[in-house]
Amino acid sequence: MTTIDDKQDIIQYVPFMSFVHPSFWHSLTDMKLNVDKLNENTKQIYGRYSYRDDIISVLEVDGTSFNKDPETEFHYINVTGTLMNKNTIEDFKNIDKAALINSVGEIMRANIQIKSWIDNPNSLLNFFVLSFADLKKFHYYYWFAFPAPSQPVVCLKEKCKNISTCFNEKQIKEISQSYQLLEISQKCFFAIVKDGDLYNVVTLSKILDKNRNKDEESNIDLTNTFFAFADHSNCENPGWPLRIFLAALFEYCPDLSKTIIKVIGIRCSKNGAINNSQIYNITVPETPQNVGWVGWERNERGNFGPKLANMSSSMDPVKLADTSSDLNIKLMKWRLVPDLDVTIMKETKCLLLGAGTLGCHVARDLLAWGFRHITFIDSGKVSYSNPTRQVLYTYQDCLNGGRRKSEAAADNLKLILPTVQSKGLVFHIPMPGHPIGESLKDETVTNIELLTEAIKDHDVIFLLLDTREARWLPTLISAHYGKITINAALGFDSYLVMRHGISSAQEETSINSTFVSGDQLGCYFCNDVTAPGNSLKDRTLDQQCTVSRAGVAAIAGALAVELLVGTLQHPLRVKAPAVYNLTDEELDPKLQGVLGPIPHSIRGFLHSHQTVLPTCTKFKQCIACSEVVIGKYKEEGLDFLMNVFNSGTYLEDVTGLSELQLTAEMTEILTLSDEDQDTTSI
Amino acid sequence: MRRMNCNTITPEEFVYAARDFIELSNKYFDSWTIHQNDNEILNTYIKKEEFVSHRDENDKIFLYRAEYIIFYNLSYGVPSFSFNLWDCSGKLLTLEQVREISLMKISKEDFYSVVTQQEHPVMYRPYFIIHPCHTAKIVSAFRYTSRNLIITFLGLITPLIQLNLPLEYGL
Repeated sequence: MTTIDDKQDIIQYVPFMSFVHPSFWHSLTDMKLNVDKLNENTKQIYGRYSYRDDIISVLEVDGTSFNKDPETEFHYINVTGTLMNKNTIEDFKNIDKAALINSVGEIMRANIQIKSWIDNPNSLLNFFVLSFADLKKFHYYYWFAFPAPSQPVVCLKEKCKNISTCFNEKQIKEISQSYQLLEISQKCFFAIVKDGDLYNVVTLSKILDKNRNKDEESNIDLTNTFFAFADHSNCENPGWPLRIFLAALFEYCPDLSKTIIKVIGIRCSKNGAINNSQIYNITVPETPQNVGWVGWERNERGNFGPKLANMSSSMDPVKLADTSSDLNIKLMKWRLVPDLDVTIMKETKCLLLGAGTLGCHVARDLLAWGFRHITFIDSGKVSYSNPTRQVLYTYQDCLNGGRRKSEAAADNLKLILPTVQSKGLVFHIPMPGHPIGESLKDETVTNIELLTEAIKDHDVIFLLLDTREARWLPTLISAHYGKITINAALGFDSYLVMRHGISSAQEETSINSTFVSGDQLGCYFCNDVTAPGNSLKDRTLDQQCTVSRAGVAAIAGALAVELLVGTLQHPLRVKAPAVYNLTDEELDPKLQGVLGPIPHSIRGFLHSHQTVLPTCTKFKQCIACSEVVIGKYKEEGLDFLMNVFNSGTYLEDVTGLSELQLTAEMTEILTLSDEDQDTTSI
Repeated sequence: MRRMNCNTITPEEFVYAARDFIELSNKYFDSWTIHQNDNEILNTYIKKEEFVSHRDENDKIFLYRAEYIIFYNLSYGVPSFSFNLWDCSGKLLTLEQVREISLMKISKEDFYSVVTQQEHPVMYRPYFIIHPCHTAKIVSAFRYTSRNLIITFLGLITPLIQLNLPLEYGL
């Protein structure tokens, strides 16, 4: 006969794993905010575990755990537990965990001693949860404990056997049926007693007498009695509830330690059959002593430490708004444009000069495309005529003289998406040909600095102002710093949306090229001079008092953002080329970005519903972006700027435009005098 | 006489199929439950919760809880399948994590074109939903030959989501 190695036979109980349903945190939060507030009461809650053989050993809690009475579910046992929620993370960390579990244990021991469990066996089992809820971040720290006394040490006389080794099919079926008929409070721990050929399922109170004296004979017929418990384990080792059951039994009758006890762990399949139940033959080598309690749960890393439920992504409404807004863009990428770079929109900082009809539409569309850094510059206030057309303002913003537009726009953007980084700056942009008096000199200097810093701080500049002159200074600074500049201007029923080139030392584009490199593209002011003589209608583009058809700003604003996104999706970004003739069928892939070719400018005419896509290079004598002007700005800085503002003609002199115009006029005069009968057709 | 619109079903047809399905579920001890709302037929849905385990490449086992809800999608006129998965701390899985534990090896693009996340029209919380476009195709293909549309529907979806459909349903 082989010697039995005692250590090998010691029962290894299968511990519970805690499983928290999200509704548990929702209910806890609700209680904390609305009921408990700062009170730190311990609270009685319910958990449950299943003795189904196909469900892993978990003790579950959910929103119903806080109910007065637990819900009941097939093949589940309800367990009473205690929740101790701490108000600070320090209290949570510093509380003495060993002392805590011992004090919980002592309460359980007291209950065992008064034997109330004989009538109410479910009350034997208990669990404990220590928690701390950070309700700002929706982080829940928690630690489960399943207290059991560390003694008695119990051994298995032999490996566990299937129930069919001691019971036949008919008996098993009968036991199963009788078990289902037991009252809920009796289902956790019970007994099976042999009576002739029959096996009866009985409650513990039938075989144990709570009034019995400890020293008396126990009267339990151990050969014909199986103790039984609802077993959550799915392997050869018994589940945790057995531990406390045996402790209670040995407390009831210490003499049991000299014998072999037979225990059945009931496990059922989903149709209720208990054929997978296991029989354990148990001995206790030593008399149990009064020692400490164990049962803190190990965390994911296998250590004795708390767990963290980070519920912010599903419970924090701000986070929900943020991730849901990003989802649209991700869907675009996953479903339609796999090469779409979605992070670049998030990272690009946009500066919007002007928070009027164009500014509001552009801001909304940027938000829809996933841009999250938006700064407005506008010196005006919201007026009563604004809200219907300027889509970021409401009636409230007009009251009491009107909120400052750029600030109202920035705030209202946050009402749409709380996580947007929006800001509003309030100052006036100085204009060429609008002289600065002495009294305004200091303020102007400050404004120029503010504008320069703002442009340097952002990646994209939108020119959405209401006059041509106001666009001059930002065009110059932006070109100098090489920023992407998108310009939009409105007429009554027409619009212009375009991207500017930048200051660059590169050679001019050759005449034979089919495209213009992005940095060589003309700016708003280049176009102004090189565009053909405009008819009277077109001249109404960008006048300060322009009144537009309602849809024009929406269309132009949307196109401005689409033009930007197209540019950003091209690897060359601001230098992305613009093709001269976009009707060409085969387009060299290098000439387009992921979303298609990026035009230089888009001119739309609502009257005829037509759009044209003119492309042109920088004008060597442009008053805003030519190297002459940028050079003067670099050399003379503020002095140069002040000269420009104070004189209507300074720029034209500097660029040599005055001379050019003179030459043009001269040519006209000469032409007319030679052919006075000719009429030039336009 | 064939109906004009073969790729949609009425709410009543959905509820009928759902009730029939629940009977089968009870028979085979599958744990689907029906939540009926007689006042608002569109809020009737069937639900199942179960544990799902996943073994990763390091052979470590993770346990998740899955909740499946089949409801009637009014704008598409078909049954819709929605689900959520959470881990043992209650935290919801992301769509990417769901894709990783799915039984079928699917590319990101294919998976995301079928499964999306949105606010559930009946539960009013974020759920993953199988896009209804695909369901309409199934309905039109199997409308008259399937014994129970919901079983057919589930049979095609289950490999995607690791949902266990007991073989007995096929009988």
